[in-house]
Amino acid sequence: MSAEGPQLEKLTRRLAETPEEFLEDPVIGSRGMVRADAVVSDLLQDLGGPPLTDAEAAAFASSDPKRLNQLRLILVAAWLLHDEWFTAAQKYAAQSRAWLSGGLGALAALVAARLFVSDPERREELARLCLSALGLRPQAEAEGQAQDRLNSLSSVEREKVIRATKGQLERARQIREAMKKKAAEEAAAKAVRE
Amino acid sequence: MIPLERLERNPLITEAGYCRLNRILQHPCAPRWNYVVGDRIESGDLSLVEEYRRRVREDRGPSEGIPPPALLDWVERLRERVPVLRQVLPEGFNLARDWAYVPTMDREDLALRIEQVVPVDEDLSRLIVYDTSGTTGHALRVPHHPRAMAQNQVLIEYALERHGVRPFFGPDTVACVNLGAQEANTVIFANVFTIWNQAGFAKVNLHPKDWGSTEHARAFFREIAPLFLTGDPVGFAELLSWEIPVRPAAILSTATALSEGLKNKLRASLGCPVVDWYSVTETGPIAYACPLGRGLHILPHDIFVEALDAEGHPVREGESGEIAVTGGHNPFVPLLRYRTGDWGRIERSPCPCGEVTPRILDFEGRDPVFFRSAEGSVVNAVDIGRALRRFPVVQHEVVQRADGSCEVALRGVQRLGLDLERVESALRELLGAGIVLSLRLDETLGERLRGRKVQPYRSERAE
Repeated sequence: MSAEGPQLEKLTRRLAETPEEFLEDPVIGSRGMVRADAVVSDLLQDLGGPPLTDAEAAAFASSDPKRLNQLRLILVAAWLLHDEWFTAAQKYAAQSRAWLSGGLGALAALVAARLFVSDPERREELARLCLSALGLRPQAEAEGQAQDRLNSLSSVEREKVIRATKGQLERARQIREAMKKKAAEEAAAKAVRE
Repeated sequence: MIPLERLERNPLITEAGYCRLNRILQHPCAPRWNYVVGDRIESGDLSLVEEYRRRVREDRGPSEGIPPPALLDWVERLRERVPVLRQVLPEGFNLARDWAYVPTMDREDLALRIEQVVPVDEDLSRLIVYDTSGTTGHALRVPHHPRAMAQNQVLIEYALERHGVRPFFGPDTVACVNLGAQEANTVIFANVFTIWNQAGFAKVNLHPKDWGSTEHARAFFREIAPLFLTGDPVGFAELLSWEIPVRPAAILSTATALSEGLKNKLRASLGCPVVDWYSVTETGPIAYACPLGRGLHILPHDIFVEALDAEGHPVREGESGEIAVTGGHNPFVPLLRYRTGDWGRIERSPCPCGEVTPRILDFEGRDPVFFRSAEGSVVNAVDIGRALRRFPVVQHEVVQRADGSCEVALRGVQRLGLDLERVESALRELLGAGIVLSLRLDETLGERLRGRKVQPYRSERAE
């Protein structure tokens, strides 16, 4: 995060004003309205880079419904990157492509894309993630300060902590033990069997 | 005086119930009992079962393409308590709008990640476990709760009632006998059910090794006179061939598809309704036969059933898809679009029989499959499933070729490894030492089928 980027508030405001067409359902298989690959390809050209190749476009097209939220988040992030601060610089296409294709999967698994538009904390999280992915920090913030704030907002880091807690591991052990108990294995009489 | 160990298993058994139990157990012609089990119902369960009994009748309704609001709220609330739901439903996910995109669950979630499925704060002290029969291609251990089992009995009452049967339960009656006919060892026991007013119950196996003689079996049934019977088609076929003198008010047939021919024979011989019953260990009862023969009506009021394509989208109206279940009353296994591996078409239009819930039409369940041992005797697929269940097998596919040779594909639990020599030896015990048998590990078994279930048993022999 060596370079200074745009004002954070400018980016979060832009997210709050995401137009409806960027919130439409992405095309998945035979359903949906918006082709994420086309949106990203246009964006990359606006950022000064080449359009997506066919191979690159595959990362933004899917027939797997499990990718719905990820494609939605890509559309919201693409709207964010269309901010004139980025397009005017004409040098962020490569980092943007990398972030959009590989940097949003874990976040999309945890938080619905619309929350990055409607919820102030999640807007700030996405804006800071975007700047970080582009090697930038918010205007008028020190590097350490920006990193600390991003860590404290990070949904992905929070989930990692929850999953790694001793309580979760202990619970898994308890369930395995309970299923091995003699009384559990004896079960209870069933009037009808499957 | 009721012994303590019986009270542990049947905490609410009465003196009259205990007498009934002993009359079954000590009958001079009883089968060779090999198991002891109770209903484990406690006093705190009774009001909840009664509430369920009321709601099964009052909360029934038609459903559209997505679950009703109460069920969506249930899923939303569970997200915070069930790790697997937290993983598949991002925070803020709009269930009503995006239901078609909600990821599905399947047997693998229960076989490999059960600790991710059980709610984090659910009291485990009354957890019990059921093994699946393995006839669906996975051997599974499913956590359950005694109260949920009693609630399933309420669903039996409802289905019987819809077929005009209202048994009067009491300690002077035997509510039901569950029939099987298996070569391999299976549990054989008697019990009394608290929620059926201490009425008796027996699970028996119609195989000669489990009785003194077939005449004993006839005498046993003649005297205990069960109000109704449950079981699978193989058991009912044996009931007829053993000429068991029984006059049940109804028969509930489960587990494998009951042919029209056998159904008609049973009706003619026993003079009672024969009701197809669709139930899966992981989900509990799902549907029962329409009294007018127009498919299978969804039975519990607390589940939502849909038919899905390979990608998890609901199929178009009128098309057949894999049956998936959301909801249920097993507190340890909350189901979210759980793929059953069975196929059918969901019909949501009103049924002339008067039942308001949707129907499953063109149901493709688990067809009965029989193998032949090297010596030519019949080997039930259920027995093969039981043999494989002793090993860490996630899915299996057993094929008997026309020449009698058998090919077995196994998908193991990766971290546990699988000793193929021991599996082969277990299968040879059933199929005979002389059988030509080949086994192979296939870690992608089922994945290539994109959601379509593995056909766990297949026989190419002409019978």
